[in-house]
Amino acid sequence: MLRLDSETGKAKWYKNEGTKSIASALVSILIGMCVGMIIIILVGLAKPEISTKGIMEGIKIVFLGVFSTGRAAGAVTFGFNPVNIGNMLFRGTPLIMAGLSVAVAFKTGLFNIGAAGQYLMGTMGTISVALTLGNSGIPSFIVWILAFTAGVVLGALWGCIPGAFKAFLNINEVITCIMTNWIAANLVTWFFDINDQFKNGADGGKVGYTIPLSNVDVVTPRMGMDVIFKGSQANGGIIIAIIIAIVVYIVMSKTTFGYELKACGSNMHATKYAGINSKRNQILSMAIAGGLAAAGASLYWLSGNTEFFWSTYQTLPADGFNGIPVALLAANHPIGVILSGLFMAMLNIAGLQLKTLTAYNEYIADIIIAVIVYLSAFSMFFKEIMNGRKHKKGGKI
Amino acid sequence: MAPEYIIEMNHIRKEFPGIVANDDITLQLKKGEIHALLGENGAGKSTLMSVLFGLYQPEAGQIKKNGEEVKINNPNDATALGIGMVHQHFKLIDVFTVLDNIILGAETTGKLGFLKKKEARKKVIDLSEKYGLHIDVDAKVEDITVGMQQRVEILKMLYRENEILIFDEPTAVLTPQEIDELMEIMRGFAREGKSILFITHKLNEIMAVSDRVTVLRKGKYIGTVNTKDVTKQELSNMMVGRPVQLEIVKDVAKPKDTILEVEGLTVMSKIHKKEAVNNVSFKVRQGEILCIAGIDGNGQTELIYGLTGLEKATSGKVTLCGKDISHGSVKVRNEAGMSHIPEDRHKHGLVLPFTLEQNLVLQRFKEKEFHNKGFIKFDAIRNYALRLIEDYDVRSGQGPITIARSMSGGNQQKAIIARELDRNKELIIAVQPTRGLDVGAIEHIHSQLIAERDKGKGILLVSLELDEVMSLADRILVMYEGEIVGELDPKETTAEELGLYMSGAKKQGREQV
Repeated sequence: MLRLDSETGKAKWYKNEGTKSIASALVSILIGMCVGMIIIILVGLAKPEISTKGIMEGIKIVFLGVFSTGRAAGAVTFGFNPVNIGNMLFRGTPLIMAGLSVAVAFKTGLFNIGAAGQYLMGTMGTISVALTLGNSGIPSFIVWILAFTAGVVLGALWGCIPGAFKAFLNINEVITCIMTNWIAANLVTWFFDINDQFKNGADGGKVGYTIPLSNVDVVTPRMGMDVIFKGSQANGGIIIAIIIAIVVYIVMSKTTFGYELKACGSNMHATKYAGINSKRNQILSMAIAGGLAAAGASLYWLSGNTEFFWSTYQTLPADGFNGIPVALLAANHPIGVILSGLFMAMLNIAGLQLKTLTAYNEYIADIIIAVIVYLSAFSMFFKEIMNGRKHKKGGKI
Repeated sequence: MAPEYIIEMNHIRKEFPGIVANDDITLQLKKGEIHALLGENGAGKSTLMSVLFGLYQPEAGQIKKNGEEVKINNPNDATALGIGMVHQHFKLIDVFTVLDNIILGAETTGKLGFLKKKEARKKVIDLSEKYGLHIDVDAKVEDITVGMQQRVEILKMLYRENEILIFDEPTAVLTPQEIDELMEIMRGFAREGKSILFITHKLNEIMAVSDRVTVLRKGKYIGTVNTKDVTKQELSNMMVGRPVQLEIVKDVAKPKDTILEVEGLTVMSKIHKKEAVNNVSFKVRQGEILCIAGIDGNGQTELIYGLTGLEKATSGKVTLCGKDISHGSVKVRNEAGMSHIPEDRHKHGLVLPFTLEQNLVLQRFKEKEFHNKGFIKFDAIRNYALRLIEDYDVRSGQGPITIARSMSGGNQQKAIIARELDRNKELIIAVQPTRGLDVGAIEHIHSQLIAERDKGKGILLVSLELDEVMSLADRILVMYEGEIVGELDPKETTAEELGLYMSGAKKQGREQV
């Protein structure tokens, strides 16, 4: 009793799960933007110094932030802004990686809230290896590879810890992830505290920063990004991130390995019954998740021009946690993560534009992100509405 | 004059995308009668009951109670009308105790909103004693057997003092004695003036207890008859739409070499700190069906877990096809020649969010046939799935890409059986393979097991159903409290004698086979 589309033999596109995921993500984004707009209007009305024109400009920037080109003749102008778009790609890179990390874990039934800690371990690995081996006569592209690998491996090992606790002792990974996050924060702070050779002493008055990797010439190639997006921080990191996302997509959906991981995530008992080593797979998925989050950190610091503020024991890096909304918004689809990661970065840039170009401050962008995060958790709900709610109890046949 | 019917469902129509589950169905329930609802898997019984219970809204038709039209929008409405239901798949909270589950939603509280658990407890215990539904009120649901969970469900309804009781396949997991008791309880309810809707596929029970039967087939209303006017054969013909073989026909077994040898197997219980399986030894030979009979919870589940590697055995030796697999992993055992149709198809048998085709290659996806250097050969899996679906008559909404969760219980089971039999292993372990299935499906599965036996496979069958044990087995081992208390030849024993062994009243000193 096959009941597929009579012509194509496939399920109709609008009934496709993917279509519904995209549509529900767009609904979340749209509502988030509308809430942001309302806030801008309310703030504008409440503050006498903001005119109606100012309100309109604020709204425009929220929607078209990356395309704002500054002010001319008293009005905000829009057009192709290579700096903004390039910076969006640059800031999107670690977000995409953190999003992939969370998405892979989700697909295998685990909630990786430990991306922040894995990100820090990746930071430590990459920066220490790059600064130690840079300028030591080893060709810098080899140092780059070693530094990147060191970061990824450290992050993967860090991810293994909650994975192993879950697999062998059945301790919820959320708890161990939170703990390993703070352990990582303190470990990293301590590590850079006692290793003076990594500290940036060159700029007078700066305390607590590491030497930028451009000083030792271990920098991700720009891969033409500096030509297209002149004046921005964009580099080849975004291309590497996109390639990794595509690889993750292929591994998760086209290989037996991905099938195995997903099966373990969906029903551990059944995989045990089928003779699949579910314990090993749980550890592996957390290792992959950890490696991905750490790769985000590596790519970020290997851009060269950023300095790591290493006193992290008080605050965990936001990029790690932002991986969760990025993954949710993309319905855990690796390719979708690229888009949602860039979208988050775009809102970030829009926030900065609000601050520099209007009387508003950048926190409005944060509110919009917060609303979207909130709503992306509802994406299941939107999907259900799109399913007409008829399927609610599953039509048995 | 009181209306003739307490509940009337007139011309109900319910559609799901791509299928009409109920097409113009009429069901009239008289006060104080036991009304059976009979039909194959997918005939629309559960859907019809879900409409009555307020889980679905029908596209057409009306529901009347005592002659007045009512609108049942959700289960709360149904409860307010005195309608209670025991679902086929239990609606219990695993981490709550039995008592908490029973009172959930119908809690009695004091003035300040505190639970009056003592009273509830007393009421539950009284009810369970009155009706012989033995439960451990303080055990957590996740720790008790399926059989006991069923009893909790029934007690839930009794606790709410509903007057219209829907039983969806209630006897599937009960022992013969318990079934008899339940039948008695149902008659008692009917005498008290309660009305019972009894969904079942077991013709014996219908003949024994019901007053009238409504038969559905493929979503359509076939007819309503008085039970005393029809025979079992007539009913099954109405249900299936063709003459059905009710008796199992099989040749005498021709057992050959030993395939599986179990010596002194001991497995610890997960619930209690004692042996669930205690020093059990037996052999399974090629070309025979060895049946492990016993009342639910006497160690059968743990025995199978120990054999299949799902749990570690404390001691004992297991040899499969000449290979010592006592300490082998599940994978090693599978490869040594073991197929396993698991007891709990949702927990072990299927990855429910996966598609049917993904489930059909659950053990085999790493075989050369299905991948190329780690990349899944989607076409190969699709073709394989299509073949199994065809060969084993697995029905589903969208064929290979149907999500396993959305399939009916019978077809989920058929899919598992297709997968396990097609792996073509020497030993087939089948645990309650026909639980909750209808006559047509049972006939199909039984004949498949016999065919496998005749091909020379060794079959280890665990069954709680006496009929199945008596008609299918070539040899019977009875398990009681973790031990094998008797070995019987089905041709020389009776159901009554088997019952005595199962209840522990009889025991034999057994020689090794």
